[in-house]
Amino acid sequence: MGSATSRRADKNPTRGAHEPGDPNLAERLRKAEAALVGRPRLSMRLRLVVSLALCFILSCAFSLGAFSLLRTAKAKLLLLQTLERLDDRMLRVRALADEGTLAAADVDKVVESLGQAEPLLRSDGDALEANDRDAAPALLVQLGTCRRLLSALRRGAGGGVAGLPTEQAAELRRAEAEGGRLLEAVIRHERVSLDTTVRLAEAGPLVLLGLQLLLFAGIVVAFAKALVEPIRRFGEYTARIAAGDYSFIAPARGYRDEFSDLALAVNTMLGELQAQQDRLVKGAKLAAVGTLTSGIAHELNNPLNNVAITAETLMEELRTLSDDEKWRLLQDIYFENERASEIVRSLLDFTRQEKSEAGAVDLAEVIGSTLRLAQNEMNLNNVSFSCELPPDLPRVRGTANQLRQVLLNVLLNAIQAMPRGGRVWVSAGTPEAGRVCVEVRDEGEGIPPEVLPRIFDPFFTTKEPGRGTGLGLSVSLAIVRTFGGDLQVTSEAGKGTTVHACLPRAEER
Amino acid sequence: MAQGTDVMVLDDEPIVGERLRPALEKEGHTVEVFTDSEQAIDRLKQKRFGVLVTDMKMRGPSGMDVLRFVREQAPGTQVIVITGYATIETSHEANAWGAYRFVAKPFKLKELVKLVEQAAKLASA
Ligand SMILES: Nc1ncnc2c1ncn2[C@@H]1O[C@H](COP(=O)(O)OP(=O)(O)O)[C@@H](O)[C@H]1O
Ligand SMILES: [Mg+2]
Repeated sequence: MGSATSRRADKNPTRGAHEPGDPNLAERLRKAEAALVGRPRLSMRLRLVVSLALCFILSCAFSLGAFSLLRTAKAKLLLLQTLERLDDRMLRVRALADEGTLAAADVDKVVESLGQAEPLLRSDGDALEANDRDAAPALLVQLGTCRRLLSALRRGAGGGVAGLPTEQAAELRRAEAEGGRLLEAVIRHERVSLDTTVRLAEAGPLVLLGLQLLLFAGIVVAFAKALVEPIRRFGEYTARIAAGDYSFIAPARGYRDEFSDLALAVNTMLGELQAQQDRLVKGAKLAAVGTLTSGIAHELNNPLNNVAITAETLMEELRTLSDDEKWRLLQDIYFENERASEIVRSLLDFTRQEKSEAGAVDLAEVIGSTLRLAQNEMNLNNVSFSCELPPDLPRVRGTANQLRQVLLNVLLNAIQAMPRGGRVWVSAGTPEAGRVCVEVRDEGEGIPPEVLPRIFDPFFTTKEPGRGTGLGLSVSLAIVRTFGGDLQVTSEAGKGTTVHACLPRAEER
Repeated sequence: MAQGTDVMVLDDEPIVGERLRPALEKEGHTVEVFTDSEQAIDRLKQKRFGVLVTDMKMRGPSGMDVLRFVREQAPGTQVIVITGYATIETSHEANAWGAYRFVAKPFKLKELVKLVEQAAKLASA
């Protein structure tokens, strides 16, 4: 099978100095820019700095917490040691006193311990638990009493408690008993509290680790989204641009960041690409008109010649002709003149600049006017055509002149493929919902399979210089793609070529 | 006044024949007008014409084909080629095939009639 299908992305090979071009385009670019810029800025850098600062602050807070826990634990440890030693010594003194073998050194030890414990209990440091702090004054009173009486005992130099007056000895015993009870309660509490503090200090790092893990995960997910999502979107944009759709990037989010700057740059590039393509399309249009020149000159010269020779006859034979004959000659002049005007009009219609905004186009009208434009070129080349259009062909998206340009390029190719004449079949239909396709088939020389993949390349031509520019199909494809359509060429060398131009239906309003 | 010659006018634009016929007949020529080159060739096979005035681009056989036919089958006939779009190549080709003159549209009736006169003299000589 020598038949193959070719679909190619359009490339823009030309590069030129910037020129004002389509004012519409500049306006649309400005609007797209305004839409992109008119959002609150939330830059990636700001988000990065804030996230890192958050991590830092969290770490600091936990370090400080851990530090203070350690300090508390240390203070509690000191307190516990002191209080336990005091308790021990007091018990010992009481026991020795009961035995009556209390030595001065033992009393000194208790007094010394009392001296160490009292400032710890008195200082409202954080070492004491809250309820112990409430109990501390009472304890201090008892301990103070013990101290006073023990000091008195010491001064009285010996002999145990017996060395004290009876009521003082009783007071000492009471104070010792009460103090010991309170002291033991405080010790119990503080043990538990120390335990808790130590356990907290143990658990802290684990909790910190967990929290940081969560935070990091959150940051990573957020940044991945902030990076991956736009990159994916830009991937879509480039695919779209490669397919020939040069419409500007519109805002996709409620804020802007560094990717918005990229979008702005891409939009500027797209504006330039559109301007380039507009210039290319215009150039190719002139080239197509150039191809038509001989046909148009011929087509114009025929009616002009008819007018000239008829007018000449009229002038020469003014006196000899009957009124009827004069009337017929004048009619000839009138209609031949109409014929010439019609040709000029269709050519001007085709070359006129039009707004590049796509609208709803009547394909039947486009096909009809283009066939008329190419009519003479076909006559000159002994090419006949048949055209079959369904009566209710839906309107398509595009601009009439650009679609005429596409059709003319395709028709000219068909004519040029049949140097010894032949037939062109033009038809249209809606093979799938939402799309309207025009088919142009010729019985010309066809396209060899090895050439087929290149026919959409700009400046690719198999024709001799002066006859082909190689722009017809590349520009036609670009035009059709800007309207969301596609161009397909199938060919069998030696048998003929079929071109399908499909366009999306215009939205009915 | 020179005696009339048989002149064939061939152009797919009917108005050309309609205007040329009376102008040439006024000069004493016998004129046959054709708008279809195939029919014209058939007629050329039957009858010898002194002068043939033919358009270049036509449906079916072109003016150049008719010119070639005349050169091969009726060498005495002088051929005047008129064309709507004159290129250097076509005028060269016409000259190479021995056309008497190559005339671009739009032409003046008087000038064409004069050319036919001159060609007729050559044909009868
Ligand atoms: N209908 C057709 N029949 C045969 N070949 C064709 C046809 N249409 C296009 N081609 C081939 O594709 C090439 C590119 O076409 P195009 O882009 O219109 O440029 P150009 O017509 O100026 O050469 C042509 O040179 C020709 O080889
Ligand atoms: Mg072409």
